[in-house]
Amino acid sequence: MKILLVEDDKQTADYIAKGLREHGNVVDLAGNGRDGLYLATGEKYDVMIVDRMLPAMDGLSLVKAARASSVRTPVLFLTTMGGIDDRVSGFEAGGDDYLVKPFAFAELLARVGALARRPPIVAATSLSAGDLEMDLLARTVTRAGRRIELLAQEFKILEYLLRHAGEVVTRTMLLEKVWDFHFDPKTNIVETHISRLRSKIDKGFDKPLLHTVRGAGYVIRSPD
Amino acid sequence: MSSDRQIRSQNWNLGRILRSASFRLPLIYAVLFVLSAGALFVTVYWTATAAMQTDMAAVLRTEAYQLAEVHRRSGLAGLAEQITRRINFRTRGPIFYLLQAPNRRVVVGNLPGMPPVDGVVDFVPQTDTPEPEAEPSKLTGFGLTLSDGSFLLVAQDADRLTAMQHAIARAFVWASGLALLLAIAGGALIGSSFLRRIDTITRTSLAIMEGDLSARIPVRGTYDEIDQLVSSLNAMLSRIQQLMDGLRQVSSDIAHDLRTPLGRLRQHLEDARARATTTADYDAATDAAIEEADELLETFSALLRIAQVEAGAQKRGFAEVDLSELARSVGEAYQPAAEDSEHTLDCQIEDGVKLAGDRQLLAQMITNLVENALRHTPAGSTVSVSLRRTAPPGFEIEVADNGPGIPEDEYGKVFDRFYRLDRSRSTAGSGLGLAMVKAIAGLHGLIIRLEDRKPGLGVVLMSS
Repeated sequence: MKILLVEDDKQTADYIAKGLREHGNVVDLAGNGRDGLYLATGEKYDVMIVDRMLPAMDGLSLVKAARASSVRTPVLFLTTMGGIDDRVSGFEAGGDDYLVKPFAFAELLARVGALARRPPIVAATSLSAGDLEMDLLARTVTRAGRRIELLAQEFKILEYLLRHAGEVVTRTMLLEKVWDFHFDPKTNIVETHISRLRSKIDKGFDKPLLHTVRGAGYVIRSPD
Repeated sequence: MSSDRQIRSQNWNLGRILRSASFRLPLIYAVLFVLSAGALFVTVYWTATAAMQTDMAAVLRTEAYQLAEVHRRSGLAGLAEQITRRINFRTRGPIFYLLQAPNRRVVVGNLPGMPPVDGVVDFVPQTDTPEPEAEPSKLTGFGLTLSDGSFLLVAQDADRLTAMQHAIARAFVWASGLALLLAIAGGALIGSSFLRRIDTITRTSLAIMEGDLSARIPVRGTYDEIDQLVSSLNAMLSRIQQLMDGLRQVSSDIAHDLRTPLGRLRQHLEDARARATTTADYDAATDAAIEEADELLETFSALLRIAQVEAGAQKRGFAEVDLSELARSVGEAYQPAAEDSEHTLDCQIEDGVKLAGDRQLLAQMITNLVENALRHTPAGSTVSVSLRRTAPPGFEIEVADNGPGIPEDEYGKVFDRFYRLDRSRSTAGSGLGLAMVKAIAGLHGLIIRLEDRKPGLGVVLMSS
């Protein structure tokens, strides 16, 4: 993957770039907004990671300008903590996701992966992984032909995991996408739902589909 | 600071009163009044003068024609005799006469001779006789050339006119002088009382600038504009003080309550340095340190959010939120977690309760209350979330439990930052959850009420 990272703090930038490269990505680094915009409009990237606070041109203006020049690359904003309004303004400027600093690297990696392989816009009517089938119209789930009854929130979790099958989905991504909670509850509500979901779809089957990636999140993977 | 001293040393002297707005206004009105009085004066003056002149001319004309009639009947000698009589007995008041023969010789009269002029004439007689009546400076006369060519002049003192003109002018000067004086004195009086009150405001604001945030400007109780201004200034000061106190509280909270986790973090790192011998030891110590650091960051983040919410900036982003849907979604989210900790989570949600607010914050508010109830009640307890309508358009949302509850004298404190009941010291939690609830409720105008459920605690948030 080719990633543009626009971050003015040298230490943070190096840390992120190093981690991304270790995971097989090509990373271009820009230390200010102007250079970032130059690269964003001149080169072709899979994902852009843009800090909100930048010298020369702030992150919001950069993304607005890039979007105005028809750059469609998915954008992940990095924001400082506490900025409750940052999320909305980031989306309004054309950002696709956001991450509050400081963050766990696994979180960044999972979100960059999800942005780069965003599912096609065409609406699928069914999703599947291995012998698990989800019918989005009838809102039913079967595994190996056997009907599985899921609660509404479990269905939503499974749907999101299936849409990102093979990718790591983090706890906070699920909180945001399933519950629209953009804050961090103290209770492990995601874990408790996952464990129920797991017992429903994996229990009694030889090969588990739902895996926990330690320190990162969850992934649905076909057994083969 | 030099400008402060300047304000302070400035007593309310005359110069300041003259400059003050409340004085300038009456002064402007006084000047306007004097100007309009002046216009009135000019009108009255000219009208009165003209009327009096016409009146005098009529009197003189009548007298002249009467005498002309005497002349027609009795001739020049008869007329002279008649005039002499009129002069001597002043039968017609202070009227002056002159009868001149055609050769301009004065036949009779108490005026010096003059060239004959017919009709009304204003003149100053060229006196050479020191007669007291002949002294007036200005006369108005009516001249008539008689049938035999002799000239008759009847004149009257113009002093009456002048006296009247002077009287009008004097009245005007006095009246406008008095008005001006009253305006100035009144303006000074109003101005000085106004200034005294402004001075109080200035003094109070200086006291506040010097650090006495509790100072307030006295209200007079007259409910006038200044009182209204003072009331809103005082309200503003209260708000500022509240925010400042909050800020001070946060600073000292941070100093006190973050020392412990920071100390623990240091401990973990020190342990790793001193005791770890295997990679597993290092991993364990690092994980513990990361966990501690995350908790610290979470606490910081929570403090920042509380401060932001208290500052009220989110109100800009308020939109309609379906509270029923939100409460139900929170309830469903916590169902498995509640079951795992052997709690019963019971939701009684009425449909369609909506309010203008921030969805994220409201979600966090309900979440915090539910978490708080789950965390502080033993296994087997029931936590209930209910949303019900009260008198329209009101509603109340309640999170209640049947756990041990809290002592009533702690009710006021549980919403303070970092406040924790003694028995909860050992349980997890930052002590910020309820502080966040209070801040969010305040932002949305919700009133918090704590109720003893006997057993248990009910936290009720009422729409106001």
